[in-house]
Amino acid sequence: MRKTIPLTLVLLVLTAAAGWTQKLADQPGYVPIQKLDLFPRDKLSVEINIEGALLSLIAAGAKGEDPEFASLIAGLKGITVQAVPLKDVDAGSVHAKIGQAVRWLEDRGWKSTMRVREEGEETYIYLKEIDGKIAGLTLLALQPGDEAVVINIVGRIDPEQIGRVVENLHVPHMKKVPASGKKPE
Amino acid sequence: MNRSDHELPCEEALDFLEPYLDGDLPVAEASRLREHLERCPDCAAELALAARIQRELRSLPQLDCPPEVLEKVRETGRGEVVPFRPRERVGLRIAAVAAVLALAVGGAALFLRFERRDRPSPQEIAQATAEARYALAYIGKVTRRTRMNLQEEVLQKRLVVPASRSVSRTLGETPSASVPSSAAAGRLDKEF
Repeated sequence: MRKTIPLTLVLLVLTAAAGWTQKLADQPGYVPIQKLDLFPRDKLSVEINIEGALLSLIAAGAKGEDPEFASLIAGLKGITVQAVPLKDVDAGSVHAKIGQAVRWLEDRGWKSTMRVREEGEETYIYLKEIDGKIAGLTLLALQPGDEAVVINIVGRIDPEQIGRVVENLHVPHMKKVPASGKKPE
Repeated sequence: MNRSDHELPCEEALDFLEPYLDGDLPVAEASRLREHLERCPDCAAELALAARIQRELRSLPQLDCPPEVLEKVRETGRGEVVPFRPRERVGLRIAAVAAVLALAVGGAALFLRFERRDRPSPQEIAQATAEARYALAYIGKVTRRTRMNLQEEVLQKRLVVPASRSVSRTLGETPSASVPSSAAAGRLDKEF
C-alpha cells in the first residue's frame, strides 16, 4: 500500500503533464494533412496552420467586432488549409491523392456529410463526431481548371454557429498566403 | 629491546608471544622464540606480562546472561522490521516533493516557452485572424457553389436527422424529419 502512493503520485504528475502538453495531433478531429502529402508543398498557393494559443488570441481580438466568429474560434484547437492551383500540378495525381485522403478519413471513423461530384468537380465534407458532437470537420475540394483545397477544422464545432458564420464571410483574395509564423515569399 | 639477535627480531618475537602462550605456535618457531627470550630481557618481560594478564582473565568468574535479557534480544530479532518504516516515509516525502517540483518545473517551462516563442505579435494575430476567416469563408464558398446550406443541409442533416429517425422508429411514427428538403431533393445526383 505504501509503495503504491508514490507510484500514484508519479502517475498523476505524468497524466497532468500529458494533459497540459496535449498536442493538436492528439485531438480526434485532427487530420495530418502534411503527412498525407496531398499537394506538392512547393506548389501551394495557400498554406494556413493555426493552433493553440494563437486561436485564443484571435478569439479575444475578434470578440468586440464579431462575437459569433470569436465564439466559434474560441472552441477550436486548430485550423489547417492547403490550396494548390491545378494549372501548376498534375490534376490526375491530385485527384488520386484526394481519393486516398477520403479513404483515410473513412477508415478512421470520419462520416461523410457531403459528397458532390459534378462535371469533374468534386467536393467532400467529412465530420468527426465524438459523443454526438462535432470534433472535427474536413473539406476536400477539387475544381478542374481552378484549384484543389483541403481544410481541416479541429475542435468543438456548433453546426448552427459555423453555418451562420460562414454564410456571412466571403473569401478574400489571398495570394501566396504563408503558414502562420513564416515570412511571406 | 635487544635487536642484536639476527635469527629472530624483537618485532617478530612479540607477534609470537600470544600464540606461544596459547600453545598454538609451531614447534620450530617456539624454539626460536625461546632462544630469543633467553637473550632478550625486554621480550621476556613482555611474555611475563602477557602470561600474567592471561592468568588473571582466566581467574575471573564466568558470568551468565540473565534469561530475561536473552528473551528480549530474541524478541527484538523476531519482531517487525522497524528500521524500514522511516525509510518508507522518507521515500513518500521524496516522491511528493518530486511531484510538486515536476509540476512547478513543467508549468514554468510551458509558461516560458509560450512567453518566449509562441507569443505572437499583433501583426501575426491580425494575419492569423485573416487566415481563420479565409478558412471558414472557403467552406461557405464551397457549400454555396454546390447550392447547399451548410447549417441546414450539411451539418444539421448529419447530426439531427439520424436522431429524429431513431425517435420516430421507436414511437412508430412516420419519420418526417428524414424527408429531404426541396433543395437537396433537386440534386439526387449528389451523394450524402
